[in-house]
Amino acid sequence: MTVILDCEITAHQEIAPGHKRIVLRAAPIAAAAAPGQFCMLEAHEGLYPFLRRPMSIEHIYKDGISILYKVLGLGTRLLAHMPTGAVINVQGPLGNSFPLPEGYDRYLMVGGGIGIAPFPALAEAIMQRLGRTPELVAAARSDGQLLLVKEFARMGCPVHIVTDDGSAGMKGYASDALRALEPDERTLVYCCGPTVMMAAVHEVCAERNVTCYASLEAEMACGDGVCMGCVVETTAEDEARRMARVCREGPIFDTRDINWKAGVRP
Amino acid sequence: MNAVNLQVNLGGLVMKNPVTVASGTFGYGAEYDQYFDVSRLGAVTVKSLTLKPRAGNKPPRIFETPAGMLNAIGLQNVGLDAYLADKLPFLREKNCTIIANIYGYGPDEYAELARRLEAEGGADAIEANLSCPNVHDARHARGGTLVSQSPEKVLEYTRAIKSATKLPVFIKLSPNVADIAAPALAAQEGGADAVSLINTLLGMDIDPETRRPRLGNIVGGLSGPAIRPVAVKMVWDACRALDIPVLGMGGIASTGDALQFLLAGARAVAVGCMSFRQPDAALKIIEGLEEYCIRQGITDINDLVGAVRI
Repeated sequence: MTVILDCEITAHQEIAPGHKRIVLRAAPIAAAAAPGQFCMLEAHEGLYPFLRRPMSIEHIYKDGISILYKVLGLGTRLLAHMPTGAVINVQGPLGNSFPLPEGYDRYLMVGGGIGIAPFPALAEAIMQRLGRTPELVAAARSDGQLLLVKEFARMGCPVHIVTDDGSAGMKGYASDALRALEPDERTLVYCCGPTVMMAAVHEVCAERNVTCYASLEAEMACGDGVCMGCVVETTAEDEARRMARVCREGPIFDTRDINWKAGVRP
Repeated sequence: MNAVNLQVNLGGLVMKNPVTVASGTFGYGAEYDQYFDVSRLGAVTVKSLTLKPRAGNKPPRIFETPAGMLNAIGLQNVGLDAYLADKLPFLREKNCTIIANIYGYGPDEYAELARRLEAEGGADAIEANLSCPNVHDARHARGGTLVSQSPEKVLEYTRAIKSATKLPVFIKLSPNVADIAAPALAAQEGGADAVSLINTLLGMDIDPETRRPRLGNIVGGLSGPAIRPVAVKMVWDACRALDIPVLGMGGIASTGDALQFLLAGARAVAVGCMSFRQPDAALKIIEGLEEYCIRQGITDINDLVGAVRI
């Protein structure tokens, strides 16, 4: 069940230049949350910025959650200034969650930049509930923007690094790294990152008949299925189902259900 | 306990308090019932209904602006049949007062929607959206494409809807006109029981980096606290010209905001996109209005309508 709650910030620190982790005391949210779900954070009491900020859940603890975010605009800048001990209003958990089907040989998470944010909770669930250890493709523009590599290594997950400029790991894109890992029908892929990256990951998966679940991002007003603002075009043809809400039908979608051509701007 | 009368009569629609929600900001009511009992609202105004389901515009559909937001949803909705079958039972079970917002292509479709809503018990009042800014492709549309920008058309459409139903009919007007009194008076002449204003202000935002419009539809409707002073002024203008009551809306975020609309002459108010930020914003305003009346020694909220001291 979704709740709206004033949460104490129990930790708030920079984990890489321009990227922060916020830890919130939020037992009711944690109790209801599943990997892949998100929360709407009120970065500011005033009316500018006006809307809450949707952010996916990184870790689910007993008494709270953590969230990773990139400081990008006004909302995240204001959020970044909130000190430990301060109180922030949070609505969550929202949206669907990553499917956790049994029986695959390999579980592969592909994260681009801050898109890696929902994977720690996913990895924990795969390990605890499926008894399997997922692999991670960590993609970023360059070395300095790689996130959570050590954390995943500590969890025992094999990590494959790829950077646009080759400053760490393989030189190339996330989709190149994925192709090099030769996934097949016995592999389940999860991905999250920029739309162009997810579209390319989907292509690799589609070529090889690999099921892939993507966590999508969109501008959101309500986060709760009301405003119809965050929709993504699907492959469904009938008028009532052609647009799917990222906040409600998503944020996790089977990439075969998404019309990637419509979503990627040249 | 009820020392203060909050009940109002909006053109024949009795509301237990003067606060509803703006169409499109509250779904079909059930979505926000998880946060508070939505039957406490004076009325629930549902998302615009069309005869057939609509997928709406291409994304991106929203963009945040200073103290507000632009939207170009394009009336994505489930359609009348699915509303009656799937959404209405919840509202009736909760005993909500229902304002059904409708959108049609031509006066006949509006009339058909109103007729069917009345026949099937789908509404306690009809709000005809003659002012959606987002159903035309901005690449091709030139100005003057909204029905409510033409007083002649407002008259024609209002008459068509009124002749189709005995339910109270509210006409929702666009602020994108030189003189809001003109379409408002046309609605009154056509037999409207009230007018709703304002719909969103047309707006546009461009990303300088990509040089692309932020919205898939290029332009959209601006709402939120940023537009509130414009809305209050237009409500005041309309109320001075009209004999029928006004449902005021545009950027209401607090009790004080709602009071401004009442003082400017609105008989009732609608909370819009503030519900996105704070789903129980309208409930807080209802409670705040009662507290205000007690504090000011007002026993009937109707005494505040038009009570601005000029």
